Amino acid sequence: MWTRLCNLLFTVNPLNTSLAKLPQNSYGAKPSLASSFATSKVVQNSEKSFQEVRVDMADMKVETKPVVLITNVGSCVAICIHDSVNKSGGLAHIMLPDSKITKNDVLVSKYADTAVPALAEALRKSGRSSFGLSAKIAGGANMFSNLKANSLNIGEKNVEAVKEALENNGIKLLAEDVRGTCGRRVAFNIVTGKVHVRCGNKEVTEI
Amino acid sequence: MFHIIVKMCKNGEKKMTENVFENANQSKDSSLVKGLDTKNKLDLEILLELGNMGAGNATTSLSDMLHERIVVEVPKLHVAAPHLVPKLFGKHDQPSVGIYMPLRGSTDCDVLLLFEVEEAKKIVEMITMTPSPDNVDSNMKRSAIEELGSIMIGGFLSAISNFTGVELIPMPPELVTGSFDALLDGFLLKQALVSDVALVFDGCFRRTGSAAGGTLVVFPSFELQKLLVNKSQEWLNRDYSVMVTAEEHTFRRVE
Repeated sequence: MWTRLCNLLFTVNPLNTSLAKLPQNSYGAKPSLASSFATSKVVQNSEKSFQEVRVDMADMKVETKPVVLITNVGSCVAICIHDSVNKSGGLAHIMLPDSKITKNDVLVSKYADTAVPALAEALRKSGRSSFGLSAKIAGGANMFSNLKANSLNIGEKNVEAVKEALENNGIKLLAEDVRGTCGRRVAFNIVTGKVHVRCGNKEVTEI
Repeated sequence: MFHIIVKMCKNGEKKMTENVFENANQSKDSSLVKGLDTKNKLDLEILLELGNMGAGNATTSLSDMLHERIVVEVPKLHVAAPHLVPKLFGKHDQPSVGIYMPLRGSTDCDVLLLFEVEEAKKIVEMITMTPSPDNVDSNMKRSAIEELGSIMIGGFLSAISNFTGVELIPMPPELVTGSFDALLDGFLLKQALVSDVALVFDGCFRRTGSAAGGTLVVFPSFELQKLLVNKSQEWLNRDYSVMVTAEEHTFRRVE
């Protein structure tokens, strides 16, 4: 176990570009595990020590081991889907609401309407049952009132698109911490299904 | 539609034109041409040098205000897909204070000045001349930091517009706190909406002797990128022999 862990720690993949280009690998169980261990570190949580795995912008990770998935969102939305039966979970960090905006982009995890089905499918593949999927979402803030892109209110559109996609795929939305004007740091514990959100530089809240 | 694209691609590479003709039916993809030809290294060098100049002026004004030496790291220009930019900065969870100042006018530009929280506290302490940052009233803290951002970005702006003659009007600054990545992502979304390539200027600086520091992040719009490069190339193509003789002339006269 230890030798395997060490081997994985030393595999250096600083940009994960290969994963970003290949949608079929970006949420497959094996490559995502290998890449996630390379950038992870052990942190002392209140109860147990969990491995911290970072999910980058427009990226998606599915884990079956006890880890905490971490991401930072502003106007983007973090979708945390928890499989309570198999104690596994996945997190997708989406950027834009609709994949129709471009035709030559193949990145599934960038858009709300494609990321949700892909994440659900990856979770169903990793577990045996297709039941017990539930979701929590965070993000979609409107951080700078003077930013021109916000006149379109991308954050709001993202949140609506994610909710619609969850409904279409039959995944129950348990909790949300969306909109507002602060950037959020999202930590998703895939064993308990708890999501800790830190809004701005304030204290951590649980949703 | 076709005519405009062909004109704009006149100097571009073959591949670029091929792509454009493939996607000419999609109005969205023609925006790829609107921006700078990112394969042209000279254009990127020019933009980097302009950014460097602006960042130098901005940090000079910070140094004047604090009476301290500021170390400026070699600035970088990130040209990548919008979602890869946070990785290139590599400061994911760092708690930061961001001052955002939109520059409007004939074209627009977004400038974001990011300080690490600890560094921001120390700078406030120095500006307000109080023994401890906790003694400072929170409203005072806020406006001190906003004013600092306004002065630094003003320095950046005046350097660039003096050199290129581009008119940009600064709007009131906004202050937001959060982790580094969360502060960046709104701007990246804005760029992702119009193009597949984001162009971001990254200038790091810190006070000598302190581990924490700040970053000046600039997101120029496509029109501004083109305008800056064109104006700078006018400078490059100018006939300098005339200027040299003029200088010699004045020199002799002084003698």
